[in-house]
Amino acid sequence: MSYVSLPARVLLVVLCCFLSASVTLVMADEFNFDLEEIEKSPLNWGGYAEIKFEHIEVEQGSAFSLLNFADKPLSTIDRLGGSLQLDGSYSQELYSFNWLLKMTGQEDDFGWHDTIDFFTAYLNIKPLPSATISLGKKPYKWGKGYAWNPVGFINRRKDPNNPDESLEGYITAELDFIKSFSGRVQTVALTTVILPVYDEINDDFGVQNEINIAAKLYFLVMDTDIDLLLLTGNSRADKYGMDFSKNLSTNFEVHGELGWVVDGPKVIAQEDGSLSQRHENAFSWLLGIRYLSERDVTSIIEYYHNDAGYTEEEMESFYRFAKNAGEDFQQTASNLLLDRAIDASLKGYGRPQPGRDYLYARFSQKEPFDILYFSPALTAIVNLADNSFTLSPELIYTGFTNWEMRLRFSYLEGESYTEYGEKQNSSKLELRLRYFF
Amino acid sequence: MNIYPKRLMLFGVFITALFFTTPLLAMDGNELLRQVDANMQPQSYEMYRKLINIEPDGSKKEFVLYTVKKGQDKMVALFLSPASEKGRATLRLGDNMWLYIPNVGRPIRITSLQSVVGGIFNNSDILRLDYSLEYDAGELVENEDTYQLELNAKSSSIAYDRLNMTIDKKTIQPLTIECYTASGMLIKSLHYSKIKDFGDGLVRPSVLETDSPLHKGYRSVMLFAKVTKKEFADEVFTLNYMSKVDELR
Repeated sequence: MSYVSLPARVLLVVLCCFLSASVTLVMADEFNFDLEEIEKSPLNWGGYAEIKFEHIEVEQGSAFSLLNFADKPLSTIDRLGGSLQLDGSYSQELYSFNWLLKMTGQEDDFGWHDTIDFFTAYLNIKPLPSATISLGKKPYKWGKGYAWNPVGFINRRKDPNNPDESLEGYITAELDFIKSFSGRVQTVALTTVILPVYDEINDDFGVQNEINIAAKLYFLVMDTDIDLLLLTGNSRADKYGMDFSKNLSTNFEVHGELGWVVDGPKVIAQEDGSLSQRHENAFSWLLGIRYLSERDVTSIIEYYHNDAGYTEEEMESFYRFAKNAGEDFQQTASNLLLDRAIDASLKGYGRPQPGRDYLYARFSQKEPFDILYFSPALTAIVNLADNSFTLSPELIYTGFTNWEMRLRFSYLEGESYTEYGEKQNSSKLELRLRYFF
Repeated sequence: MNIYPKRLMLFGVFITALFFTTPLLAMDGNELLRQVDANMQPQSYEMYRKLINIEPDGSKKEFVLYTVKKGQDKMVALFLSPASEKGRATLRLGDNMWLYIPNVGRPIRITSLQSVVGGIFNNSDILRLDYSLEYDAGELVENEDTYQLELNAKSSSIAYDRLNMTIDKKTIQPLTIECYTASGMLIKSLHYSKIKDFGDGLVRPSVLETDSPLHKGYRSVMLFAKVTKKEFADEVFTLNYMSKVDELR
């Protein structure tokens, strides 16, 4: 039995209290609308408690299983985790304070691991309906893409397998200005963000002791959303971009993004595992559709190209080196090469979708067989360069008020020295139970 | 000459007939539709609604929404409950619709035929604009207590291609609306009931019930409360404002 820390115990107890206290379902009288339900309080709060079980089949001998488990080879991992999200706001006429606290904990073959972070904590001041000033920690989700955002210049990187999850913010000062018109241009909005990077302030964003400025100019013109975006400052390379989204009919939407990075850094692993850095201009772009069929199947399909990603040859070279490093560690106990491979992984090769060309497709069927609130879905992410892929069927049920149940299986397939062939896992089964309050 | 009195008499009969039939001829379908819109809601207002989805076994799921509307084509709805949906906002500007989910943190475009609540109500039912903005009147039939008005969608971006509206003659408000596809298939029927005085001269149905031959045994009900005239800035109906709609209450 692993040692479980005091904060972890507290988290588990709180989770169990929330989940057990909420099992009772209340059925209201038919057609009853109690006005107490709509009374407003300046203090608003809510969130969710979640329990998740994962069973992972490890792809033994793959590059990332060797990097992650070189000293403790595993064939399977069972993980039990929980999380608690507490969000809310306190509002007065001209201002509001908003927060989101996230606590997570998990127990697996490696022991207990927990985190606690304020993802969001910012003050909103609204002197006019057309102007808002925000100060504090706030997440940004710029871009129109569902799985990727080439113009998400100040976004945290999202997980394409869970793109709707909340993400940690950056500490910023923001001015948002909106103007509405009648005519072809219906709305113009300018969002300007000052993002400082110092020790203990956004220090994972880039080079420290710098102040960066990001801006987004939005137009709603001829029923089309258009954004023009930029990031400038010395913490990261300058970036420029645009995106759009438009409904072509009652069941068909098209969207796209185009990003341009000026002289961006790229870390390249040499044959001996040493790292070099070069700077280059890079385009990245995305084109996607969302389509609702007559049978209530929603399809989201996106193509993503990233000039700054690694070529198939560069990835293959890294995988060969990483596998050699892992095997060398197991044979000689020398971690020289292994550390170099891990360093390369952390600096680029190990990020989600590190290649250049990808296809994302998600198909979800709304309420088949007249089962209300039940949605089966199938998600695929394909690396188009090496033809490796991940396929994830899932079942979601939200029929019990404030409960969400999700069962998902992810299967990864690819030959040796391909992205999904060299991942840590060959498959994962996940059961997630979430209660909102 | 006795032809003159005859002509005069015929003219008199014609004028008399014209005078007495004028109200019916003047009850042009499009004018009737505009009256229906005017009687159902003020131009700019706020209101609260409860949506109830009822399954064949009687189990229910409820959603409470705060809604504001301005002019003919601007509307935003905020989910107040249940907790799993709280903070979600849907915005409609003419044919454009967006959904904001707090966790996702940005508005995404949605289509009118999708449903953000499940059940029989889709997005266009929840963010319904004035009928006269989306539909042209077709054939108008007068019955003893009701008008039967056929409506044809003005463009392909409207959720239902054709409506058949039964209007109460006394109140000039809809009683039932049948929604059809272009091919003539009945998608759903909407039934208004329980006339209520919301104050400020607004007397209208407070319950809207819907069923669908495509979902036999399932029902969805919408209850209306606190429909109140209120003016809003245009900027309230923009993507950047979707996360702040609760501040309007």
